[in-house]
Amino acid sequence: MMDTDRHRPAERRLVKPMMLFMFSAFLLLGLKDFNWLSFVLAILVPLGLHITTLLLPRLFPADTLLLGMANFLCAVGILTLYRMDPERGMNQIVMYALGLGVMLLGILYIRFWQRLKATVPLVAVAAVVLMAMPVFFGRERNGAKAWIALFGVSFQPSEIAKLAHLVVLAFLLSRRRVMMAMIFAGACLVLLMLQKDLGTALIYYGITLILIFSATGSLTVLGLGTAGAAAGAVLGYSMFSHVKRRVAIWVDPWVDHRGSGYQIVQSLIAMANGGLWGTGLGLGNANVIPEYSTDFIFSVILNEFGVLFGLCVIAVYALIFIRGVSIAMRSRTKFHTLLALGCASFIALQAFVIIGGNIKLIPLTGVTLPLVSYGGTSLISSLGIMGLLQGVASVNQEDIKEDQMIALIGEES
Amino acid sequence: MKLIKRNVRIIVFAVLLLLGSLVGYGAYSLAVYGNRWFSSASNVYARRHKADVIPGRIYDRNGTLLASSDESGKRSYNNDPALRSALVHVIGDSANNVAYGVESFMAQYLYGFTDSFVDRLSQAFQGTRRRGNDLRISIDAGLSLAITKAFPAGKAGAVVVMNYKTGELLSLQSFPVFDPMNIPKDIEEDPLKPFWNKATRWLSAPGSTFKVVTLAAALKNIPDAMTKTYECTGAYQVGDTLVTDAGMASHGTINLKKAVEVSCNITFAKLALEVGDEALRKAGQAFGMDDHFLFTDLVVENSVYPTTNRVNKEIAWTGAGQSALLLTPLHMTMITAAIANDGVMMEPKILLQASNAAGNTRGSITPRVYKTPLKAHEADVIADAMRAVVTSGTARRAAVSGLKVSGKTGSAQVAGQAETNAWFVGFLDEPDLPYAVCVVVEDAGGGGQAAAPLAGTIFSQLRHLRHD
Repeated sequence: MMDTDRHRPAERRLVKPMMLFMFSAFLLLGLKDFNWLSFVLAILVPLGLHITTLLLPRLFPADTLLLGMANFLCAVGILTLYRMDPERGMNQIVMYALGLGVMLLGILYIRFWQRLKATVPLVAVAAVVLMAMPVFFGRERNGAKAWIALFGVSFQPSEIAKLAHLVVLAFLLSRRRVMMAMIFAGACLVLLMLQKDLGTALIYYGITLILIFSATGSLTVLGLGTAGAAAGAVLGYSMFSHVKRRVAIWVDPWVDHRGSGYQIVQSLIAMANGGLWGTGLGLGNANVIPEYSTDFIFSVILNEFGVLFGLCVIAVYALIFIRGVSIAMRSRTKFHTLLALGCASFIALQAFVIIGGNIKLIPLTGVTLPLVSYGGTSLISSLGIMGLLQGVASVNQEDIKEDQMIALIGEES
Repeated sequence: MKLIKRNVRIIVFAVLLLLGSLVGYGAYSLAVYGNRWFSSASNVYARRHKADVIPGRIYDRNGTLLASSDESGKRSYNNDPALRSALVHVIGDSANNVAYGVESFMAQYLYGFTDSFVDRLSQAFQGTRRRGNDLRISIDAGLSLAITKAFPAGKAGAVVVMNYKTGELLSLQSFPVFDPMNIPKDIEEDPLKPFWNKATRWLSAPGSTFKVVTLAAALKNIPDAMTKTYECTGAYQVGDTLVTDAGMASHGTINLKKAVEVSCNITFAKLALEVGDEALRKAGQAFGMDDHFLFTDLVVENSVYPTTNRVNKEIAWTGAGQSALLLTPLHMTMITAAIANDGVMMEPKILLQASNAAGNTRGSITPRVYKTPLKAHEADVIADAMRAVVTSGTARRAAVSGLKVSGKTGSAQVAGQAETNAWFVGFLDEPDLPYAVCVVVEDAGGGGQAAAPLAGTIFSQLRHLRHD
């Protein structure tokens, strides 16, 4: 109880400005073109933030601070999408609701881990089958063949397989089955390569490396892994024309600023137009970037809210990561530690890969900005990852409560 | 578990480093390239918002109105067709035919994008259409007009006049010029490409004017360079090429000062081979070759020191300013300015002041050292040799009585051209007239005949600035 009492005011302090931010933002959009929907959202979104951050955790123990930050990013995503295209904003709200459900499932899965860990082989097989599907009957989008359509709904299996990937790796590594873990991760990587989904492959690789390193502590693995990544990059560059093209665009997008370099060039210009303080909500024009709602949503944010706000967004990812790591450090089994660490790193790495691509720090690979970008599968899987992390956090809190109970009983006797 | 803690610390450090690199690189690239991205022709946002703002006026350094807009936003340039033609490349035109003129590269000021939130709000409440900032630029309109009148008609080329102590540009001329308010219909077919700003965007071999760089390399690498002598027999075999001098002249036994004075190709070819390709490249790079020029006020093509096919005959010709060397007239001006300014190269500047409708001014010129390619005594030696070029060498026709003029001529051979490109770089060694000048007349003959006299005219024009 001590713990929650100490933390509650912090979350309350955090939620109020977030609510105020969302209220004024939607109000502004409403006043801009007198859309009743915006006025309704000006009430509903802050209310939703309050409910999901402060009331939801009463149903089950969870880390409210982490939840608040994740919710804030989701709200920023919804706001940005709604401003660019109201329909996408509304879709995103529905997806967010579904994502909350998946988050709950993630929490429950970890809470009942002792009984559910028998499902790991099933999860592993499901992950591989899921990721093999696009290779055989996938649809090509932006050069990557990572999408499949099932029952009329198109989605990206690698997004869902993320969760399985994290659980399986954490499980195998907690039992010191490093070889098995490597084989599983290798299979996932090969399937991603076959889908030409290089960004996701990069993140999977990084996560695998991070988890193996933290489980084994072998600097050799870290060194070999990094060298392997470098060799893979060189090999990929010399073997695949689409990799060469990506790199060429990265080196100088201005050469073909109307063609292949168009997106990056417009992304950079959108950043420059925004400047420190942004062009103002609803006043930017980042919709000239074709993929503004998914890959380039960070550029839209920089365009309208400015560099300083972009800085805050990066800081929130850093804080989510740090919070995730501290959850990992407080957990009492190796499996939970590795899982929490993997989840936290996944969010941070994915944010790095796509923001880095947007600002031309690294070549652009088509991954989404976790919790913010438009896209059902992406949002749901990101919230699923947050669910796994929350699951570990809730197990931690349970452990602490048990300790206190034992201490109490000890005192009484 | 203890081991995991150490490992996790490493991972936390690495991941936070990655996220930090986003912030660092983002801030760096916006600070350095932001204005270039903003003023790019691909910026739809700026183009659209320009319609909401009446762009600011542009004045020259003496307050001559160069560009203004009426209440409807229609842009017009100085009433004198000759004057507005003379300044078309540095100012640009409303249709943005001339890339990176003041009109486009300083759009953020002219269209008030840099105005603070408070200024924008107060203008909004006044109910008037927003006004951009008025600019005062360092260009001297009268001087630029005089240069344009003196430049040979029907020729392409460039003239740059720069204050070597501050980097302020007084003239940045490209030829041929055209009238921005009356653009000829067939201008795109003109082989002399009038839209092209040749002072900043035209890369070419600078001919013998580059010998000042070769001389700098010699000073840095040969201890007794200025006392040594070289043999010039009128022809010098390097590989399968024969290095010769203009008019097959033979200069006999000469020292380096004399070799600069008479512009002896053979001596400089020997010098280049003596110091070697790497030393010559280093000297060039000290002067800014191979740099990625990112000046605040100007977009300038990057100069190139050749990297492929570096056989002896190419190195020899590089020493004499030929081979595959590529420099802009502005960069040659900067090199000359560094020699004049005791070895300190200033960043070229063009914006003197921006003032907005609320009366706030900003962006006043602050001189900035770009590079220090030479030590003061090395600069003195080169300047001394350049003085002799004007008093008794190939640039005698640039001399102006009563002024200490120094210079170097160049006659650059270009494949497919009947005549050589005539080059002259030089400066005034007068404390109150710290100006460096570069003149290029394409396809016009020798630098001593076709460029030096024009430079002389410019120098005597500059004398009038004394009374400012």
